Amino acid sequence: MSSSPNLWRRSGVDLRLLLMSVLLVVMAIVFHVLSGGVFLSPENLYNIAQQTAVVGIVSTVMVLIIVARHIDLSVGSVMGFVGVLIAYLQYSAGWSWPAASLAGLAVALLVSLYQGGLTAVLGVPSFVVTLGGLMSFRGAAFLVADGKTQPVNDEFFQRLGGGYDGGIGTTASWGLAALVAVVIFARMLQKRSARQRHEMPVEPLWLDLLLAALPAAVVFAFAATMNNYQISSKTEAQGIPIPVLIWAVVAVVLSFIVHRTRFGRYVFAMGGNPDAAALVGIPVKRVTLMLFALLAVLVTIAAIVSIARLNAGTNSLGTGMELYVIAAAVIGGTALAGGSGSIFGSVLGALIMQSLDSGMLLLDVPIGKRMVIIGQVLIVAVVFDVLYRKKFGEN
Amino acid sequence: MSANPPLVELREIRKAFGGVKAVDGVSVNLYPGEVVALLGHNGAGKSTLMKMLAGAYPIDSGDTLIAGEKVNIRTPSEAQAQGIETIYQTLALADNLDSVANLFLGREKLTPWRTLDDHFMEGQARRVFHRLNKNFTNIRVPVRRLSGGQRQVVAISRALYFNARILIMDEPCAALGPEETAMVGALVKQLKADGVGIFLITHDMPDVFGLSDRLAVMKNGRLVGTYRTADVTEDEVLGMIIAGKRPEGKPQAEHAG
Repeated sequence: MSSSPNLWRRSGVDLRLLLMSVLLVVMAIVFHVLSGGVFLSPENLYNIAQQTAVVGIVSTVMVLIIVARHIDLSVGSVMGFVGVLIAYLQYSAGWSWPAASLAGLAVALLVSLYQGGLTAVLGVPSFVVTLGGLMSFRGAAFLVADGKTQPVNDEFFQRLGGGYDGGIGTTASWGLAALVAVVIFARMLQKRSARQRHEMPVEPLWLDLLLAALPAAVVFAFAATMNNYQISSKTEAQGIPIPVLIWAVVAVVLSFIVHRTRFGRYVFAMGGNPDAAALVGIPVKRVTLMLFALLAVLVTIAAIVSIARLNAGTNSLGTGMELYVIAAAVIGGTALAGGSGSIFGSVLGALIMQSLDSGMLLLDVPIGKRMVIIGQVLIVAVVFDVLYRKKFGEN
Repeated sequence: MSANPPLVELREIRKAFGGVKAVDGVSVNLYPGEVVALLGHNGAGKSTLMKMLAGAYPIDSGDTLIAGEKVNIRTPSEAQAQGIETIYQTLALADNLDSVANLFLGREKLTPWRTLDDHFMEGQARRVFHRLNKNFTNIRVPVRRLSGGQRQVVAISRALYFNARILIMDEPCAALGPEETAMVGALVKQLKADGVGIFLITHDMPDVFGLSDRLAVMKNGRLVGTYRTADVTEDEVLGMIIAGKRPEGKPQAEHAG
């Protein structure tokens, strides 16, 4: 028993994320029982997975924004603005979807340059800048098409949002799961050999195998579930929904940025000690601007997925989403004081939020009670965060 | 003038914050292998002067010469490029990152694919830390979990690893126990022998008389005087710090030797 905390620490398994995963599983089982076997059905899981994707995509980068001691309250409004714009350019202006999406990205980048510039260069608190943005860009979303809903009809584009033809099919799902498993094991072996080459201590093989087998098993279980969901009018099962695939790619890319690039390290250094970051020569302003630009890219991706899922851009798209996005990041262990947070945590946080919401919906909990409960869950998450940090001597 | 130009020559440096003249026409220099102690009350301007040399603050007016050449240091990176390293009183560590990340912070070693070369950095870090403290092995935990002495090792390693030619130490022993203070003292002597020039900001008289070759006293942003440490007594130094009074009959020592 005495060696176990050490093993935990060395194995790089985050105790908090483990607890969150357990919580998610327990919650799913409870809802499954209470809903009479509906919650864990392939159809419900398929829906939860694709509904969570939009919030999940933006949450991954919100983690970094909060880590760097900033906040963005305008993500929902900007997503609405960009989403309506992309739909408008396709429907009313007759642009192709790639051209419309690129134009949406350009506008999102301009917005980030404006908001990020005020924050990074002039030092205006991002809370204030984006609080203004929350209002302004919701208005801009209305102005784009005079408040009229803009349908999107391109079939390929609609697939990006999941929906009827939005799964990649069974064969591709199995293939992808196998590929991911191979990559996980290959990376584990590569890491071992690199550590040996540099004469650094290596964990016992069984432990590394176990740590690689677990995520691989989860991926296979997910693929199997998605391959079990068949819309009755179709001949093939759905497979992994495309929005979830996009979310997964986003999460992997952001994890890579956090752990393997200079930019990611600077974001964490700026959050941990802004003065030190400046004193050691980190270009704080440039990194902050790049961070907001990264947010713009992901908000655009979320906007595309979102309008593709709804088959339309409406001026209310993404209303209130900022709260879900921030909540997912915080539930996933991102400290609002900055300096700590993880991308994988935000994935779990988004899943917990969405599972709770859909679970209660399945149980016919009225909207008022749902809002009360979700709000309090956020408080519980923050209280847990405070207690956890006290116990483990962080801050 | 000595035959060789000083390693650092600061000429008539001025800096004002709003209406307050934090540094008001200060000239001081530093030779290779020399320790110059910078003394003065809090707010005397010594830290501000050093922050300008380190690139943390822009200089309002005045010249900086490094090894006889005029340079314009505007950012910490430009100072580092001149071989100027700084150990701040606050240590300037990112508490949430581990020792290896802090050692290389701002100067990460990258692989050919522009990603962080963690294995290389960890290997190098182990070597540097080991040189300073043989018992320091938990280098992969966030530095906030480390002891004061270990944190100091990380801060000092930053100067050591990147081969500082000019080292600024701002109260290096302020938070340290006796054993670690002795370690810093030994290190200063070793760096001196390697030809590194050191500016030492301190309040601690034993440090001043034990480590420095010359001392420069500042008061209210101005230089009171520069003396060879061996020429003055502790009382005379305190008189300069507190009253700004130059000791009588003692020669100024603007140059080493």
